[in-house]
Amino acid sequence: MTRFKLLLLFMLIANAVLAQNRQLSGVVTDAGNQGIPSATVKVKGINAQTLTDIDGRFTLSVPSGRVVLEISSIGFEKTEVTVEANNNNVSVTMAGSSTAMNEVVVTALGIRRDKKALTYASQTVGGDELRKASNINFMDALSGKAAGINIATSASGAGGSTKAVLRGNRSLVGLSEPLYVIDGIPMVNNKGGQPGSYGGNDQGDGLSSINPEDIESMTVLRGANASILYGSQGANGVVIITTKKGKAGQVSVNFSSSTVFDQVTSLPDFQYVYGADNGSDYNWSSTKGNYQSGYIEDFFRTGVNATNSISIAGGNDKTTAYFSYANTYATGVVPTNTYNRNNITFNQSTRLLNDKLTISSNVMLASELSRNRPGAGYYNNPLTGLYLFARERNFDQYKENYQIFDSTRNLYRMNWYSTEEKQNNPFWELNNNSKLAKTNRIIASAKATYELTEHLRLEARGNIDYANRLFDNRWAAAGNSVSVSPNGTWSYSKYTDQSLYTDGILNYNNTLGPISVSAILGASYQRNTFNDGMNVGNGTTALQYPNFFSFSNFPFNVMFNKTGSTVIKQGLFGNATLGFKEMVYLDLAGRNDWASTLALTGNQSYFYPSVGLSVIVSEMFAMPTAISFLKLRASRTTTANEVPFNVVSPNNTIGGAGTPDGIGGINRNTQVPFTTLKPEKIKSDEYGAEMRFFNGRLGFDFTYYNSVSTNQFLSLAAPSGSGFTRYYVNAGKITNKGFELTVNADVVSNSNLQWRTSVNLSQNKNEIVELIASNPDYQVGGDDEGFASIIKAGGSFNDVWIFKFNRNDAGEIILDDQGKPTKAANMVKVGNVNPDFLLGWNNSLNYRNLFLNVLVNGKFGGVAFSKTEAFLDAYGASQRTADARDAGTIPILAIQGSSKVSSIDPKVYYDAVGDRNRIMEPYVFSRTNVRLAQLVLGYNVPIRNSNGVVKDASVSLIGRNLFFFYKKAPYDPEQAMSTGNSMQSNDVFSVPPTRSYGINFRLTF
Amino acid sequence: MKKIISAILILSIFGSCTKNFERINTDPNQISDELLKQDFNLVGSPFSGLLFNLFGHQIEEDLCHDSWMGHLQTPTPFVGNVNNTTYYVRWNVYWDRVYGSVMSPAKQVIQLAEDNNLPLFATWAKLIRILSVSKLTAYHGPVIYSNYGTTESSILYDKESDLYNQFFTELDAIQAEFAANTGYKGFAKFDPSYKGEITAWMKLVNSLRLRLAIRISKVAPDVAKTQGEKAMSDPAGLIEANADNFNVALLGQKIPFAVICFEWDDTRMGAVMESFLGGLKDKRVEKFFSVADNPTHYADHPSFPYKGIRNGAYVAAKIDRVPFSRISTDFQTVQKRRAFTAAEVSFLKAEAALRNWAGAGDAKENYENGVKLSFADWGASGVDAYLADNTSKPWNYVDPLDARNNFTSLSTVTVAWNDADNNEVKLEKIITQKWINNYTNSLEAWVDFRRTGYPKIPHVAKNDSSPDWGVIPADQWIKRMPFVNSERTGNAEGVADAVSKMGPGAKDDIATRLWWDTGGPNF
Repeated sequence: MTRFKLLLLFMLIANAVLAQNRQLSGVVTDAGNQGIPSATVKVKGINAQTLTDIDGRFTLSVPSGRVVLEISSIGFEKTEVTVEANNNNVSVTMAGSSTAMNEVVVTALGIRRDKKALTYASQTVGGDELRKASNINFMDALSGKAAGINIATSASGAGGSTKAVLRGNRSLVGLSEPLYVIDGIPMVNNKGGQPGSYGGNDQGDGLSSINPEDIESMTVLRGANASILYGSQGANGVVIITTKKGKAGQVSVNFSSSTVFDQVTSLPDFQYVYGADNGSDYNWSSTKGNYQSGYIEDFFRTGVNATNSISIAGGNDKTTAYFSYANTYATGVVPTNTYNRNNITFNQSTRLLNDKLTISSNVMLASELSRNRPGAGYYNNPLTGLYLFARERNFDQYKENYQIFDSTRNLYRMNWYSTEEKQNNPFWELNNNSKLAKTNRIIASAKATYELTEHLRLEARGNIDYANRLFDNRWAAAGNSVSVSPNGTWSYSKYTDQSLYTDGILNYNNTLGPISVSAILGASYQRNTFNDGMNVGNGTTALQYPNFFSFSNFPFNVMFNKTGSTVIKQGLFGNATLGFKEMVYLDLAGRNDWASTLALTGNQSYFYPSVGLSVIVSEMFAMPTAISFLKLRASRTTTANEVPFNVVSPNNTIGGAGTPDGIGGINRNTQVPFTTLKPEKIKSDEYGAEMRFFNGRLGFDFTYYNSVSTNQFLSLAAPSGSGFTRYYVNAGKITNKGFELTVNADVVSNSNLQWRTSVNLSQNKNEIVELIASNPDYQVGGDDEGFASIIKAGGSFNDVWIFKFNRNDAGEIILDDQGKPTKAANMVKVGNVNPDFLLGWNNSLNYRNLFLNVLVNGKFGGVAFSKTEAFLDAYGASQRTADARDAGTIPILAIQGSSKVSSIDPKVYYDAVGDRNRIMEPYVFSRTNVRLAQLVLGYNVPIRNSNGVVKDASVSLIGRNLFFFYKKAPYDPEQAMSTGNSMQSNDVFSVPPTRSYGINFRLTF
Repeated sequence: MKKIISAILILSIFGSCTKNFERINTDPNQISDELLKQDFNLVGSPFSGLLFNLFGHQIEEDLCHDSWMGHLQTPTPFVGNVNNTTYYVRWNVYWDRVYGSVMSPAKQVIQLAEDNNLPLFATWAKLIRILSVSKLTAYHGPVIYSNYGTTESSILYDKESDLYNQFFTELDAIQAEFAANTGYKGFAKFDPSYKGEITAWMKLVNSLRLRLAIRISKVAPDVAKTQGEKAMSDPAGLIEANADNFNVALLGQKIPFAVICFEWDDTRMGAVMESFLGGLKDKRVEKFFSVADNPTHYADHPSFPYKGIRNGAYVAAKIDRVPFSRISTDFQTVQKRRAFTAAEVSFLKAEAALRNWAGAGDAKENYENGVKLSFADWGASGVDAYLADNTSKPWNYVDPLDARNNFTSLSTVTVAWNDADNNEVKLEKIITQKWINNYTNSLEAWVDFRRTGYPKIPHVAKNDSSPDWGVIPADQWIKRMPFVNSERTGNAEGVADAVSKMGPGAKDDIATRLWWDTGGPNF
């Protein structure tokens, strides 16, 4: 009985619902009358929506009577149409959003703003664009796709770090890298150690742990003007990552799988016909032989990067959720190098209290395990022994017997013919010296938003970014005698990086007649504790027992170091944008920071303001029909950079291990307390113009900026007689000026073929106007084994100084009494490593179901230099030296005493220039390079049944760094040996450049 | 209005939150004075570091006076084989160690000792300052001492004659304070050299006074005699036995030579050492050096299997010279460095005897005692036969790789004492033996060489001196180190004044003689 009544009730209701509904069908088209696929068609006020099919058609059950449809699609202006009760077939034309400029962009703190109201430059790149070529690192994928960002990726392969600089370097002490922000909240990017001339390996950064699949879009705020709300940490620009979220009303499952192969390209040119005499390390025999070759090419293997990911997104009108899992497993081109990453992301958002309260949370988990990530430099690097190998010897014999039994010690020792400090048997290095890097990371945030009134909203957020990092490097006993202890060397470091962030923001939006007001007022608190842990290493002091790597095996005189630094920053900020008739916008912002690093100085509280104006000229005046949009903008900002941890008044340190003769002594702090320390100050102006032509098919976005950094924090040696050793000053003036230009065009746009192209072009001019007025010779950086990267008044950041040939006034190289070219007494500047122009040219072509993406990246200007080549020449291992020997002499314009010399013996010449610390002149190259950075050819599998299980499927072939249109350096200057400040565009036996190609599958259910 | 109120509210909250900023910005892994006060560590704890920094490392010693004195020589052609060892100044940093790691912390220690009513620690620190600065002035001549720690914009250097007088005056005060507190044990925990034995430090005070007196014996003979006799008559005595030697603890680190030699392959036996030790049949060679790797390298004297590298050598490639004689592997494990030995004191007394200073005793006795103390200290055998040898002479050096480095020994000295010799010959014997004994402490050897011209070591093979840093003529040797660049630019007035204090015609270069380097005969 009960059951029957229920059934009846159900039928009645169902009937009632059915009776009130009608089927509405229609088509959504663009201005060219082409159907728009995947547009969302929603009935305003109720939860009924659908997506258009590939031809833009849709059917939807709607209530009877008049309804209002809301139609939205990426790239188009949101459109509302009213459908009368008797109309069951509608046709909607959507205007491209570039025409109307109602584009919404994510700005600082995650605040969404109308792009037209912005008074500063910003550029957004969609997640799909970043994922197209299946890069493991999302910043690597951004190169060339946004203007004004200079990106170098580590040559060390998967899991390596990146260096990104927006609008030039400006801070002498810190890195001038942007702030990375996930959904409005700053994330930690604490870069680990980087290789130098003597060795080491890239210890990664905080960016490699992000799963690119989770990225909905990325917005680059290039200047301080855009990022003032982040305070000092946004002074170098901000890269905002917006993560994917679930969408109401649709459940979608995405599966993506890609396999990408890496292959070594452009090895140096080696010779294999001249060996070494008498067991020497140097291939300078004058007798030719037919020696083994090919072992250098064979040493490298094809790297494989396999990434599989799945994501599930969905929700209803109250709650949405997103979950993803990804695994990346990579094997590098250097044998034994592997990288394994697992990412899990979960986020949800729920609306409560009549949709007034929204609570959302986001958890990202990442684990990264990297083994034997290749390094660079002289020491314990397999490539030195591999490249310099004495040609007359049998390489295979050293490969197979990389270790031999030492009966005097009853253990295996390295088998290598050379005792040089920089040479190891490459296979001993690969198999017996292990390098482990492990990161476990969690980024968890929660956010609550409450609509206080229609115009006033309160947001509160909290986030923790916690990473646990381990670096464990081991070098086996009886290896290299210079850098490894006879019983082995262990370097161990374990620490956590933690960032706590919380803020509260009051948001006010209203329109009062012609005036629109958008204002925020907020406060934030951030506590960063970095490198909280320990490190220890025995260096060349012997372990007690060979090849046992445990704390108990350390000798007594090894120091265990506890590390860590904590910085607290509190901020109070406000921003108001006043709009007049959507024609003129005035933007005012200010922030006050309180930084713990400035404690005791009286300057820990500092305020900086920003003002900006944007004028939409096309709304104010009638424009020629070709011009559909014209906006001009200008802004001026002052920001500040805080100083490093614990520089105001440091304490004493323990100076050494205690011995039976006494306790470890104390090193007294001898730095002058710096109680007048001020934050670094950056004043930045920018002017921009945005233009759209031909109904938005052609667009320009141009920005000119000029920033001046003062109050640089500089460390100086105190005068010897002063009683102190160091002191700090606030001094200096560094300017960065330049422009950024983005051009977008829909070159072809019809139903079968679409070609969209964009060009990103930028230039930055850096000038060190002044460091210390009273000491014009003051410089940062110094000689690093024959070249110097120097920051000095009158120059610019990362100027390269080297020793050239010693020449007379006639330009002739002066030879010494032995006939050897002499080196100039002093170093001279030969250029700057930073390129003058950056160019990215990105093309997307769609032809029916085929799609093609072509990205050309160019960097113009700047110098690159290779110590690898200098070594190869000194050791007679380069083809260049063989050619010279075949020819007998090298032509030269030289003078010895008073007699002119026109040719020189190759060995004499390369002895003078090659190796480190000699005449580096022949090893400086142009950095300019233009490459086919990315080529993707794909096919969207047509889905016949739009109600079927599979909603979308595609397969694509991927290529990255496929070839160079132009390159002069003997290596790839953009695959960096180091992502730190000083070793830019330099090669000291770093991993040779690679090209990548692979395949990607995507399925959406 | 609402905004302003909330802004004020939040501001006030923040204002109170910044109170802990000072604590947050303090590195918990640095040790504060508060913590050091426990167990009374505050004042004493820097001393082992002050003592350690009496000595320099590779670029301060090995590539300077170790090479110039022919004790050691680098196989590495640093900076294109044009560097300090060939008289072109590339490194000049001992100055920074003295002011950064001795003078600056010592200033704090002296202040802390006064604040904490531990006056003897101040006395001790003042003694270490003299030990340190008396070495520094041997590089540069005038140095900053009496004006140290003033806030003047240009800080004036002390004239050498004033400096030595001040040293002597301060040594008087130091010795008086020590003499009044011989039973004081407060240093013990912080003193790796003498375990806090005040009487041992008093012997060092007297020995140092004697060293400095002999140093100025030609330029200021009256002051020298007074001070030398005072040193030899002080009841506390001198460093007379090897057990009294002043050694500096290495605090768990390897002795720099061992690191430079075995880990970096950047130093080898000096050819001058080969010439003297081989020629004079000196058994200390086994304690100083290791047998060379390649017998063809010492084919000129197969029974003496050592091969050194010429001072200021022509070096084509490092790899060629790596197989030359390393230092003794004993240095891999030593835990201390000789800073002032009984043998050196004995040689000082031998010279004092030649100069007829009261209390010096007999020159021959002191000379032979010095050699015996040195053999005993180094653990070498055969001292009696050695002292009796009146025929063996330093031999000529042959470089197996580059004949430009060959030299004919300038010295024809023998070991055996001969009372019939004149004072110059006697002094040559004394200083030659002092030079051998001061292996690993070659700064004193460089002082003696400039002061007396002994031992007669060869000129550099490759002389790259130039107007940049001063020209050393072919018949001369390096005289001093220039003032450091940071002072030349940052304290130009002080440096100009210092140059004027070196006498008429003096230049801030490597060719200008120091005050006590008078040239000419020794008697």
